[in-house]
Amino acid sequence: MKSARLVVLAVAAGLLLSLPLSAHHGGTAFDVGKVVDLKGTVKEWVFSNPHCLLFLDVKGENGQVTQWIAEGQAPNVIFPVGYRKDSFKAGDVVTVTVEPVKNGQPMGRILKAVLANGKILDRASSGGAPPKP
Amino acid sequence: MVSRIGLFVALFAIPVGLLAQSPNPAPGGWLIPQFNQPPITDANRKPAPRRSLAGTWGPAGGNSAATQGGGVAARPNNGRAEQLPYTPYGLDAYRSHKALEGADAVLPADGNDPRNLCEPLGVPRYNHYNVRMTQIMQDEYKVAILYHYDNRWRVIWTDGRQLPTLVEGGVDLGGGDIREPRFFGYSVGRWVDDYTFEVTTIGTMPEDRVWLDSTGRPISDQVRVTETFRRMDYDTMVWSETIDDPKMYTKPWETMRFQLRLHDPRTDIQEYYCSPVEQERYNRLFGNTVSGK
Repeated sequence: MKSARLVVLAVAAGLLLSLPLSAHHGGTAFDVGKVVDLKGTVKEWVFSNPHCLLFLDVKGENGQVTQWIAEGQAPNVIFPVGYRKDSFKAGDVVTVTVEPVKNGQPMGRILKAVLANGKILDRASSGGAPPKP
Repeated sequence: MVSRIGLFVALFAIPVGLLAQSPNPAPGGWLIPQFNQPPITDANRKPAPRRSLAGTWGPAGGNSAATQGGGVAARPNNGRAEQLPYTPYGLDAYRSHKALEGADAVLPADGNDPRNLCEPLGVPRYNHYNVRMTQIMQDEYKVAILYHYDNRWRVIWTDGRQLPTLVEGGVDLGGGDIREPRFFGYSVGRWVDDYTFEVTTIGTMPEDRVWLDSTGRPISDQVRVTETFRRMDYDTMVWSETIDDPKMYTKPWETMRFQLRLHDPRTDIQEYYCSPVEQERYNRLFGNTVSGK
């Protein structure tokens, strides 16, 4: 976890708050505006409702491995963004940017992912413009 | 049996008929929703068909433009009770709800939204919950709406039958034929003009079974829901809704109004269901931990 590069973006806070709330739950659990970059090895990718879950082993500077869990929205929500059932495979080395939870657990929600093949996927959650009149 | 088969065939004949009019040439594959369609302008606008809502529709603002996670589209929840005309009972009901969204949201493990038990959301909440790809089919007797979330559907009768009367604990279909409340209630629709379809629904579930929206606003079995579908042109339609629920609110108010965009009728819509097994797994692996449980 120590190797996780912690970047606090003041601008991002406002930006993220302006996005529509997630499909399943709101942002109460998340430290909105905080961003953590994680480079690690995929253990499992659960492409499932109500939220997809990515299990990622991240090695710290001291060599200790911490398992992070990064969630995305439901499959049908993140499908148009480009996420698929096989986007992450066990053993893949990927970089994932997450918004961590508030209580310090190694968990967060996916803001961006760089897949093993170099493909970049955007936020794994709701997006889009507000409803039109 | 024959009549049921006939109705089934009629329902699915309409989308097939739309194939010839599709603006998207056959790609020969499993089409996914396209939210980057060109805007409708004077140059590409086509006239709306008369008295038809049939088609595969998505929010005009994009895949997540009508999720309404922050509360119904016309009045997102700002956390102030005075924002809505609550009755005292309605306000108490709101305060008893522990929502995971909106101004008074709690942590995932602390919520009491019936949705988290995979309960049916009922009408009108299906109109306020993750409205994404919505299929509408119709024949001469009815309009059927296939909601994306939880693969649910409802029927709106257009054959001239009368709306039932609300009675204690249910509805009277006429002549003392008492029926039970239903998650989707009892809906009848009529064409106000060739491009405006109005739907009225009553006989829905009581407040201990359903919510109005994901921020915990209440709704009762006394509600009368009025929806309007206004076809603007071939590709766009406005869906609006007003509720009149004297048990929860002192006056009627508009809950939503947003635009839908027509999609290719061959679009393959992904499943989007609530599974108690998957819900439990999610809570165990993620939701409970982030809630400190």
